[in-house]
Amino acid sequence: MRKSSLAIAAMLLLGTAQAAFSQGGVSWWYEQATPEQQKLIQQNIIAPFNAAHPDSVLAVDYRGSELDKQLRVAMLSGNGPDVVYTAGPSYVAPMAQSGQLMALDDYAAKFKWQDRILPVFLKMGEYNGKIYALPKTYETVGLFFNKTLFEKNSWQAPKTLDELETLADAMLKAGVTPFAAGNADWRGANEWFVTLALNSVAGPENMNKALRGELPWTSEPFVKAIDRLDGWWQKGYFGKNYFSLTSSEQAADMMASGRAGMMPTGTWQFQNVASYGKKAGTEPGFVGFPSASGDPVFPLGIGSTFSIATRAKNPDGAAAVINYVFSPEVYGTMNSAWQGEWNIPLKDISTVKMASEVTPLFTETMKTLTAAVSDGDYGYTTWTFLPPATDSYLINGIEEVWLKKSTTQDFLAKLDASFQKEKKAGKVPAVPAR
Amino acid sequence: MHRLYVLPTLIINIVIIAIPALMTVMLAFFEWDGISDPIFVGLDNFRTLWDDSVFWTALTNNVVWTIIFLIVPITMGLLAATMMLVARRSANFFQVIYFLPVIIATAITGRVWQGMIYSPVTGITGLLQRYGIDVANPLTETSSALYGIAVVDLWHWWGFLCVIFFAALRQVPSEQIEAARVEGATFFQTIRYVLLPGIMPTITLMMIMTVIWSFLVFDFVYILTQGGPAYSSEVLSTFAYRSAFYDLAVGKAAAISVVISLFGLAATVVYIRVQAREFDQ
Repeated sequence: MRKSSLAIAAMLLLGTAQAAFSQGGVSWWYEQATPEQQKLIQQNIIAPFNAAHPDSVLAVDYRGSELDKQLRVAMLSGNGPDVVYTAGPSYVAPMAQSGQLMALDDYAAKFKWQDRILPVFLKMGEYNGKIYALPKTYETVGLFFNKTLFEKNSWQAPKTLDELETLADAMLKAGVTPFAAGNADWRGANEWFVTLALNSVAGPENMNKALRGELPWTSEPFVKAIDRLDGWWQKGYFGKNYFSLTSSEQAADMMASGRAGMMPTGTWQFQNVASYGKKAGTEPGFVGFPSASGDPVFPLGIGSTFSIATRAKNPDGAAAVINYVFSPEVYGTMNSAWQGEWNIPLKDISTVKMASEVTPLFTETMKTLTAAVSDGDYGYTTWTFLPPATDSYLINGIEEVWLKKSTTQDFLAKLDASFQKEKKAGKVPAVPAR
Repeated sequence: MHRLYVLPTLIINIVIIAIPALMTVMLAFFEWDGISDPIFVGLDNFRTLWDDSVFWTALTNNVVWTIIFLIVPITMGLLAATMMLVARRSANFFQVIYFLPVIIATAITGRVWQGMIYSPVTGITGLLQRYGIDVANPLTETSSALYGIAVVDLWHWWGFLCVIFFAALRQVPSEQIEAARVEGATFFQTIRYVLLPGIMPTITLMMIMTVIWSFLVFDFVYILTQGGPAYSSEVLSTFAYRSAFYDLAVGKAAAISVVISLFGLAATVVYIRVQAREFDQ
């Protein structure tokens, strides 16, 4: 009797939940997140959103690191979530091309996204003149350095590429590895350095032309950039254990402990830099990556994007969720606890309240980046602006140059061939005008 | 009516094996990013592979891998199984020890070797370096990456062959072994003329399966090097995976899968012929 009552109660509960969800539920598939990170999403997004929108109950489903593959299969069969969370703009173009995503222009007007979101990011989510995606987070790659070690050796943070090389040579002489870097856990780390070389040597203007198809990747500025990067590798700036070290923890530990002096990496490393610096009792510093002219370069990157599925059961609810994420409250709470992953591209972050434990270095860096982007003074990260096959070749092909299995010319020729093919197929993400 | 009994298996085979296999073969003739509509391109994917140096590196690596696995673990397994047959008292203990790596999850085995043995920071390699012995992590050199991965897979795999061979050796009639001893055969003569011929069908099966499995190898390569550095440890399956999920070139990935299947098919044909000959005898 008791069992049957329980079964009836459970069925009723399930039925009610199902009915509620089919009426106004919003589904969002998220990537990998630790239990602590899931708790943050629950506390700072799901709970306040559901409290404010009782008619559109948000349910986040954590799909792990294979989200991208699951999403593609689900979208093909028309069973995907309402909020489509992709790994970056290069995934948006083919989805929009095949009619799987809804144009967001009406919602952009309704929620006044043009007034609240940095225009360059709205432009990056465009396909055929319509907005299909909004970037969740933006990032840049720069130069972390061990401030304590620099003060001890009277070293100055470099501004030009020549200063960088002089400093790196001095570090080699002192038995310090110039760059803390590794790719054992993430082969994609290779492209952080290619991105830096392309932006600092060839420059953002040339990158912009190449991405628009107005300049081939085989042209002289890019040859110089890859040759210079290869020179750094051959001189041993990356150390002898690059392929054995992890790109995140072990690299951060190497710099914090003083075994390496600098770490060219992205803003996503702030949390590791802070915790390993604390452990080693050293203070970190961060500057924009040096360039030929001496003005720092901030290559702009996007981690992931939001879209709405054409077959979404509740598109209005999905738009409300995306709109809620783009608020100073979510920026402040999520970015304080999960630095680097929730740099939502808001135009005005002056009203954002960050937690007291967030390092001033991080806050200052993000302010500098926001200002650089607002002024149109930014570079291009390869993982954001290159189409998938070209980017994949860049990651693996650069190793062939470093290990003398290929030449700079061959590498760039293959890169250009792949890029032109994908450009012809309409797979190159949107590049905002400078 | 009794034919209905095969229906569940038939449905499972059609849905899980036949349809996906046929679709893979079909996709090999299409250009498809996994999202938009596929475009028929004829043999273009195969032509692209033919001109791609990475494809030839991957194919060569698969052949080298097959040769290594046809020789090393089979020899080690046979030797250890024969030893266990002689020293029966401790056979159970050694069977468990040899078999232990087989039951450890591949990802864990890979990470243990990567972190505790090969790593210059946390592994034995690093320890040796600190004592002044210049040992490099084999996974980081283009000349040794494939062999570094093969060592891990050998450690994980040979115990399985050993247990299989030991089970087969125990089926060899004891009268034959006794007769060989009475006739004055030495230990190696007993192996050569009695034991090996007695378990030849098992060895043949294991060798054919080794060829098939060697062309399917993916897990250890992907965990330890992801095919690098500079494609030096790329194998066909990691190449197919990268093509499908990173390059979004599903048609090219399907063409690579068809090539992998051809090698498996060739090995299967050989196996069926060998089996047919055994039946005839």
